Amino acid sequence: MTPNLNRRAVLALGSSALGVSLLGLKPAFALGADGSLVIRSDADIAVLDPANRLIAFEDTIIQACSQSLARFKPNSTEWEPDAAKSVQWVSDTEITFELNPGQMFHGGYGEMTAEDVKFSFERFLPDAAGNKPVFADDWAALDHVEVTGTYTGRILLKNPAPAVWTLAISDVSGAILSKKAVTELGDAIKTRLIGTGPYMLTEWLPNDRIVLAANPDYAGSDKPAFPVITVKPIQEAQTALLAFQAGELDFTAVDAAAKDQVAAVEGAKLLEQEGIGFTWIGMNAAKAPLDDLRVRQAIRLGIDMDAIIAGAYAGNTGRANALLAPTLLGYWADAPVYQRDVAAAQALLAEAGQTSIALSLTCLNDATSLAVAQIVQALLSEIGVTLTINALDAGSYWGLSGTDAVKGLDLSLIPFSAKLDPSFNTQWFTAAMIGIWNWQNWSSPEFDTLHTEAASITDEAARAAKYIRMQQILDESATCVWVTHGRALFAHSAAITPALQTASVWQLRYFAPAKA
Amino acid sequence: MKLLLPFLAQRMIAGLITLGGTFSLLFVAVRLVPGDLATILLGTRATPELRAVYAARMGLDEPFWMQFWLFFKNLLSGDFGTDIVTGRPILDLILEVLPNTLALAFAAMFIAVMLSTALGCLAALRPGSKLDTVLGGASVAFISTPAFVVAILLLISFSVQLKWLPVSGAGTPGDMASRISHLILPAVALSIGWIGYLARLLRGSLLEVLSEQHVQLMRAYGVPEPRIVGRFALRLALVPTVSVLGIGIGDMISNAVFVEIIFARPGIGTLVFNALQDRNYPVVQAAVMLTASIYVLASLGVDLVNALLDPRVARGLSEA
Repeated sequence: MTPNLNRRAVLALGSSALGVSLLGLKPAFALGADGSLVIRSDADIAVLDPANRLIAFEDTIIQACSQSLARFKPNSTEWEPDAAKSVQWVSDTEITFELNPGQMFHGGYGEMTAEDVKFSFERFLPDAAGNKPVFADDWAALDHVEVTGTYTGRILLKNPAPAVWTLAISDVSGAILSKKAVTELGDAIKTRLIGTGPYMLTEWLPNDRIVLAANPDYAGSDKPAFPVITVKPIQEAQTALLAFQAGELDFTAVDAAAKDQVAAVEGAKLLEQEGIGFTWIGMNAAKAPLDDLRVRQAIRLGIDMDAIIAGAYAGNTGRANALLAPTLLGYWADAPVYQRDVAAAQALLAEAGQTSIALSLTCLNDATSLAVAQIVQALLSEIGVTLTINALDAGSYWGLSGTDAVKGLDLSLIPFSAKLDPSFNTQWFTAAMIGIWNWQNWSSPEFDTLHTEAASITDEAARAAKYIRMQQILDESATCVWVTHGRALFAHSAAITPALQTASVWQLRYFAPAKA
Repeated sequence: MKLLLPFLAQRMIAGLITLGGTFSLLFVAVRLVPGDLATILLGTRATPELRAVYAARMGLDEPFWMQFWLFFKNLLSGDFGTDIVTGRPILDLILEVLPNTLALAFAAMFIAVMLSTALGCLAALRPGSKLDTVLGGASVAFISTPAFVVAILLLISFSVQLKWLPVSGAGTPGDMASRISHLILPAVALSIGWIGYLARLLRGSLLEVLSEQHVQLMRAYGVPEPRIVGRFALRLALVPTVSVLGIGIGDMISNAVFVEIIFARPGIGTLVFNALQDRNYPVVQAAVMLTASIYVLASLGVDLVNALLDPRVARGLSEA
């Protein structure tokens, strides 16, 4: 029996072909004729309330749709006034501000006034029952905001807190919301953002798209460059790469391994962003045999960090030698760069009476963490340390925090994200964090004192000196073997110029068409 | 009809027992997984106080038996609760994405049935021929190739190289052309395994029917072969195929998670996957419960179709 290509079959085939063409199955390019921009996030947003946000990409959306008193300049950690005509310290515990007039909230919620500033900042304080929002710590030093005029006010702190400037005033925790909107909308503000920023949130289809439209009433001088920005949440890096190659995306983070594939896409560019986070191998100083400094020093000398960077990261990131990244205040430029020394490591173990040790290394179960763990396992076997890798999924891994399991850890491979103020990053190594986020179970009274002091002095040089001393104390303890601050890689259309505050927070308001 | 009603009643009781078992197992299983929502979502911001607040909002501060009772009580009253992350009703979250998953599963099943019927018939009509051998090999290849591999290959071919079809998303709501163009590749990727499996199944049962005496008699009377196959034999040969379609729908809904993640397509699969990663138990429970119900209903529907196609099915069960 052979296929019978009769008139009916030909008609059916023809109509199918016509149908397919009518479906619009044709090439799609992200930068549309209307100049709209399509970018990818690796997770969907959930909460757009600045005080209770959950993931880093929400910061990106909140910053695009709202204003704060000050903001970071494009691709910079330097600040400039945003909603404020002027904002300045007048003493260690007082900041005054004057708002620009005529800044209108989206959705007809009126003009921004000092009352909105007071409301937005004081939302971070504990309520009558003592309940605090998630980001309460950013405004922990706030006493109250005093309104002195329609557009003017004073921010009064309980104690000197220079971190307020970078963690709150200039960042997402300083986003100014409409008091009227928040009061009226209640819990709905979790998913409706009423700000005065250059973009407005016009559509959110969970796990499908987030649409931002240019705010026609935006009063700032930096008018939005794109009429529409569409964000596509795509979890899988491989899918994102394919979508970029297919021309569906103008901007996406990609894996370092995809460098060559991106380079092969016509009209594509690569952007590298050095990270400020810190990944380290922590050692539990409260548990034998790691409670012996010599054992910890031996393990540090047994690890070849350059081999880890080359093997687990394919050389696509830099090596970290201390806690704070080079762009942060308090960076320790002269931190020792430890090189592997098997003989010295074995001598230290022998001195400690240890010739054969069995330990575990707890890490996340992603490919990079596993690769680091396996390299460490191989390296330490040569100095007489047998390592068992305990790889956990993210939920189980982070869920260790605050449980008794932290006391039982030996080595842990820990990746932490960071903030621009050093105090945020040093707090995890204090005595108060033991068992919670201090998985080294190590503490130093001097470190804790310096942490408290450095968080409350405004002299930058003096602050930096204290943070360097804190890193020296950490180094002397040999509880942390620093791996990397990370490096993010982005693929973008050559037709646009992106702007990044950090690798995880993108400054959509500064994204613009590339200059010819 | 006399036999059909007791048959259906029996199947419904079996379905309810299945659902009860599924929910109980799910309830216990999700609580055995370590980790908590606050820590996973908030990372280092998750203070012990915040963790306690989140646990209380999810009802996890209640004794285990009370959580179990509240779960079933709310279930029976149709109250799925509120998602503590977004503050939105959980039912809304599910209903927003359920049509995407159902469209994907049914489109994949449609493709699988249409192609496998054609391939199965072609192979059965020329048993032992080169065509049969080729189709047999192709079917095995289809069955043994994982959906995610097919998905990547399809994306590279039709999206990256040819730029005919989109890579990600479910299309623009209200725009049928956009919705269909976003559905084609995921549906094909999801259907591939089932095309091979159903084609093999149909070939076997068709060959069996075609060798039966009543078919030989029709041939002896000179009834044309296409009429014998299309009108009589195929109908009987479809019975075992239809039987597995109920399982097929369940399988496709569960496998949809891989396809939805690869195609960045909103659906029940991604909803459950993300909620499970976040340890957002109320969302996991509600979504799995709904999909399990769909699976049980699909099985019931298949049993009904089977009984209508072949009354011996209902008779056999009621006599058992």
